[in-house]
Amino acid sequence: MFQCVNSDCGACLNRRFYYVLFTAFLSCLLFGCAASETFNPGAEIVLVSREDGSGTRGAFVDVTGIRAEDSNGQTVDLTSIEAIIANGTNIVMTIVAQNPYAIGYISLGSLNGTVKALDIDGTEISVETIQSGDYRLSRPFIAATRSDVSLAARDFLNFIRSGAGREVIQNAKYVAVSDGAYEVTNGLSGKVVIGGSSSVSPVMEKLKEAYRVLNPGVEIEIQQSDSTTGMLNAAEGILDIGMASRPLKDSEKEALFPIEIAHDGIAVIVNRENPLESVSFDQVKAIFEGLALTWDDVSVAPPR
Amino acid sequence: MRVVFMLSALISVLAVFLICVFLFANGFPAIAKIGAGEFLLGRNWRPSNDLYGIFPMILGSLYVTAGAVLVGVPIGILSALFLALFCPKSLYRLVKPAIELLAGIPSVVYGFFGMVVLVPWVRRSFGGHGNSILTASLLLGVMILPTIINVSESAIRAVPRSYYEGGLALGSSHERTSLFILLPAAKSGVFAGIVLGIGRAIGETMAVIMVAGNQPRLPNGILKGVRTLTANIVIEMGYAAELHREALIATGAVLFVFILIINLSFTLVNRRD
Repeated sequence: MFQCVNSDCGACLNRRFYYVLFTAFLSCLLFGCAASETFNPGAEIVLVSREDGSGTRGAFVDVTGIRAEDSNGQTVDLTSIEAIIANGTNIVMTIVAQNPYAIGYISLGSLNGTVKALDIDGTEISVETIQSGDYRLSRPFIAATRSDVSLAARDFLNFIRSGAGREVIQNAKYVAVSDGAYEVTNGLSGKVVIGGSSSVSPVMEKLKEAYRVLNPGVEIEIQQSDSTTGMLNAAEGILDIGMASRPLKDSEKEALFPIEIAHDGIAVIVNRENPLESVSFDQVKAIFEGLALTWDDVSVAPPR
Repeated sequence: MRVVFMLSALISVLAVFLICVFLFANGFPAIAKIGAGEFLLGRNWRPSNDLYGIFPMILGSLYVTAGAVLVGVPIGILSALFLALFCPKSLYRLVKPAIELLAGIPSVVYGFFGMVVLVPWVRRSFGGHGNSILTASLLLGVMILPTIINVSESAIRAVPRSYYEGGLALGSSHERTSLFILLPAAKSGVFAGIVLGIGRAIGETMAVIMVAGNQPRLPNGILKGVRTLTANIVIEMGYAAELHREALIATGAVLFVFILIINLSFTLVNRRD
């Protein structure tokens, strides 16, 4: 039952065996890491999406139309259930930068050289193409007011649409749309209540800070909810200014006067090794609905 | 002075009590509103359509934890045996601090390491997306190593020396004695280490989110992504409101029950000693 092993020889044999095992393990590990891959267009597309409720996801799904109404009239997000869910722009970018077959979407402001933004219908994403409307994956940031808007609120809107407001918007990495003049009205006071889209709120906060430096007498309160609630409350007069990150619906336009304050572009990003340069609007939709499974499915149909 | 000591001790009891109250007071109404069956066994998690089924996440947590145990336990126990019985003193001075350092690395650093190194490696070596159950299991397996090693090592060291001498006297080698006499004798301590490791694995959040893919659906293979209970809470908490928020707290309550079960089994294992 019990073997008596010559300890010296056994140890040395053992040691050699373990050494070989360890080297094999290490080389396997290193080889796995170092092996470079050529892009295989037959490979499965790896979708990277954002979490349910994220503003970027909401906008992306809205703009591309990756949604449908079910029998109860509820809007259902059709983003493929197989999509990897990343809870932040940086994580989306890291996954896409690491995986040659991944595709994701981020706000234009976050785009950098680690990933490649695809042209949509042959149009490159840039501040200019978003401004001209040629790049389709963009959404307007809207401030909507009733016609009986208060003096202070009107002054704040003027500030947003001025050169100073433009600077704040551009610093926040959004596309500003207007460049008007603004003069401080001395002794202006009052309270402005703003509410709505959580996507617009961050830039609105920055605008508020810049405005308050010039107009310490005006108090501004920002309530964060969503575009629809914001429009509803603004129409009812609960809010002075409603924020929306989508164009207003016709019913909303009856009661409210929309002002575009900025544009936010959504970049569709792929790995730098991916040879694809351009996709069509419909292809983006098909990819994220999980209808186009491999990169071949996408490149077969000519872009544009 | 005694009162001060007692108050300090009571603070942790109070904290646990408050967390319990918060979790269950907020979680149970949500579960009741959604329906216990629908919540625990529902397969669809679509908060924007008021579908709150956490079954995929429960399974996800279990899969990932089981994977971590498969990876971490054999390595951990063998490492503990090595440290306690085979390790030369000079090497011990290197290995022991390394293991302690492993325990001290913040989980987000593990997560980042997993995302940048492990995910591509798994994708190249095994296929799939890379963000998968396998990746999360490997990463968690490494993360629970220090817990298992440290607890097991001290358990093995605590076995009376006479056991070892008895083994040698019966003619068995050092290896045989270690593996078949000392390790079984230290069984309950080793189990305790494993249970603690499981507790750590099931509660881990940040590292898992970064490597697991987080798809809220039943996975069909270890190369598919998965969402754990912890990930579900963290990913959506920032945006959640009303019932969605309560459903997430209820998810926390379910997780809490899991941890309770694990701790209870830990106590049982220890009591048998």
